[in-house]
Amino acid sequence: MTLRGRRIEVRHGARVVLAGVDVEVVPGELVLLAGRNGSGKSTLLRVLLGAQRADVGEVQLDGRALATWEPRARARRIAFVPQATETPFEFTGRELVAMARHPHRGSMQPESAADRGAIACSLEVVDALSFCDRPVTTLSGGELRRIAIARALATEAPLLLLDEPTTNLDLEHAVLLCDLLRLLADQGRGLLVAAHDLNLLAPVAHRAVLLHDGLVHASGEPERVLDESNIATVFGVESHAPSSYFPREFKAKR
Amino acid sequence: MPRAFLLTLSAVLVFVVVVHLCWVPVGPGFAEVWRMVAALFGGANGDELDREIVLQLRLPRLLVAVFGGASLGLAGTVMQAAFRNPLASPDVVGTAAGAAFGGAVAIASGFAVASVLAAPIAAMFGSTVVTALVFAFAGTGARFSVAGLLLAGVAMNTLIGALTTFVVTFTVDNYTASSSVLFWLMGGLDAQSWTKALITLIGFVGFGLPLVFRARDLDLLTLQDDTAFSLGLDVAQARRWLLWFACGLTAATVANTGGIAFLGLVVPHLSRLLVGPAHRFLLPASALAGAVVLLAADIVCRNVPIANLRLGVVTSMLGTPYFLFLLRRHRRGEALR
Repeated sequence: MTLRGRRIEVRHGARVVLAGVDVEVVPGELVLLAGRNGSGKSTLLRVLLGAQRADVGEVQLDGRALATWEPRARARRIAFVPQATETPFEFTGRELVAMARHPHRGSMQPESAADRGAIACSLEVVDALSFCDRPVTTLSGGELRRIAIARALATEAPLLLLDEPTTNLDLEHAVLLCDLLRLLADQGRGLLVAAHDLNLLAPVAHRAVLLHDGLVHASGEPERVLDESNIATVFGVESHAPSSYFPREFKAKR
Repeated sequence: MPRAFLLTLSAVLVFVVVVHLCWVPVGPGFAEVWRMVAALFGGANGDELDREIVLQLRLPRLLVAVFGGASLGLAGTVMQAAFRNPLASPDVVGTAAGAAFGGAVAIASGFAVASVLAAPIAAMFGSTVVTALVFAFAGTGARFSVAGLLLAGVAMNTLIGALTTFVVTFTVDNYTASSSVLFWLMGGLDAQSWTKALITLIGFVGFGLPLVFRARDLDLLTLQDDTAFSLGLDVAQARRWLLWFACGLTAATVANTGGIAFLGLVVPHLSRLLVGPAHRFLLPASALAGAVVLLAADIVCRNVPIANLRLGVVTSMLGTPYFLFLLRRHRRGEALR
């Protein structure tokens, strides 16, 4: 189960967003996708999800063009955590997570024991059981984010695309989330995580992909990809790694 | 809990149906209607005139109110989900304005005098054309934006409103024609027939009942497009079809009743307060609540001693304050129900 984008090009009018990007999501690997604002991270995720067509290039899931997959079959293989959340209506968190079972159920089929199990398990994994029965309109940004992640997990898809999952999370939940992402990868899921929080995510990533000017500027081990010279080129920021490579190592106490 | 509310709503609907059938200032009251119903099932003989009044006047009116109210409730619910916007309603995309315009043309041109079906058919035609135009300008496909659709709807509503007024100006010299156009635009449930009841029923069965199978699609549509897509929904197609279903429901109703589409805004909110936003409960609840509200408004309309009080006026006078109340809540940063 591999998701592979080859020579992906996307233009918005005259502006070139992606100019030939190769990227791969394979089971067991956590890939950090980094780059400046507007560098095309979200666009690349949308293309890999199938929600946006590339102008040039092709996305293949399991060796077959992504566009030829039946939507529900595709949804059982690729899950998505969006950047923004979400609905103006007062669904409870549990109801939102239950929507993840849509690709597993017939249109009139009631929730099965497997559905309920996947929902409860995902809610527990993101530590959302305490607030999942409240309307989402009353939840904080971080709580909403955890609900969105639980929903992606509840699809039981082997591949996950996450658009800035640590935004809006407090430090403890961000660290817990990074550990969780690494755990999911170690358990055999493939994850592509677009993020700005390099200090938090680089240590748990197996691989990093750095987007710059519509191209992959560097790709490989996070330590090598996010070195001082690449960070200076891409972000225009000086970086120092005083003791170890990363300024501080965070570890959640529970 | 939602099931209990659905049961309660059903019970209220039965009660309102009986009241609607029996509580009319003139003609047979509860006892006569009861005797007549008994006569239908082989009891003692009912009065022949009562029978005619109930079967040919009150029953069609009742059916149009029940299925029309249910249709408008469903249409509003579907539109609010498809637009991911709690302020959407069948009025917004021009469906109601198109129906009003079509009916006005049929009445002003005199076709409505020639055939009772001219106004409903012209209304359905008008609402379909206007809706199609709004969709064409706004685009319902991949590049869909709620703002684009709402703006196209606002623009088209203005244009069609002007055209309707233009048509009305031609009738000013003809008292009968101009009063019937005005009555049409204000909406009402008088002068219903079995044919009209049948149109409403067909609209409800054809466009309303299939929604049962799309309840989860509607749930997904309330999420961001990318999220709904990632969960296996063909968002553009689902949105387009469901909006057409909502327009079919609206058209089949307002073709017979004139301008009462405002109901489609209020009823979904009312229903969401009772059973929550999940569409497997919300759809039946808004159908039931739509029928109850329209019947109740019609009962008010018939029994308030104001000559020529129109149903559209009553529903708008009930609906607009609620709409404003919603806006105020919205401004205070609370979630819209």
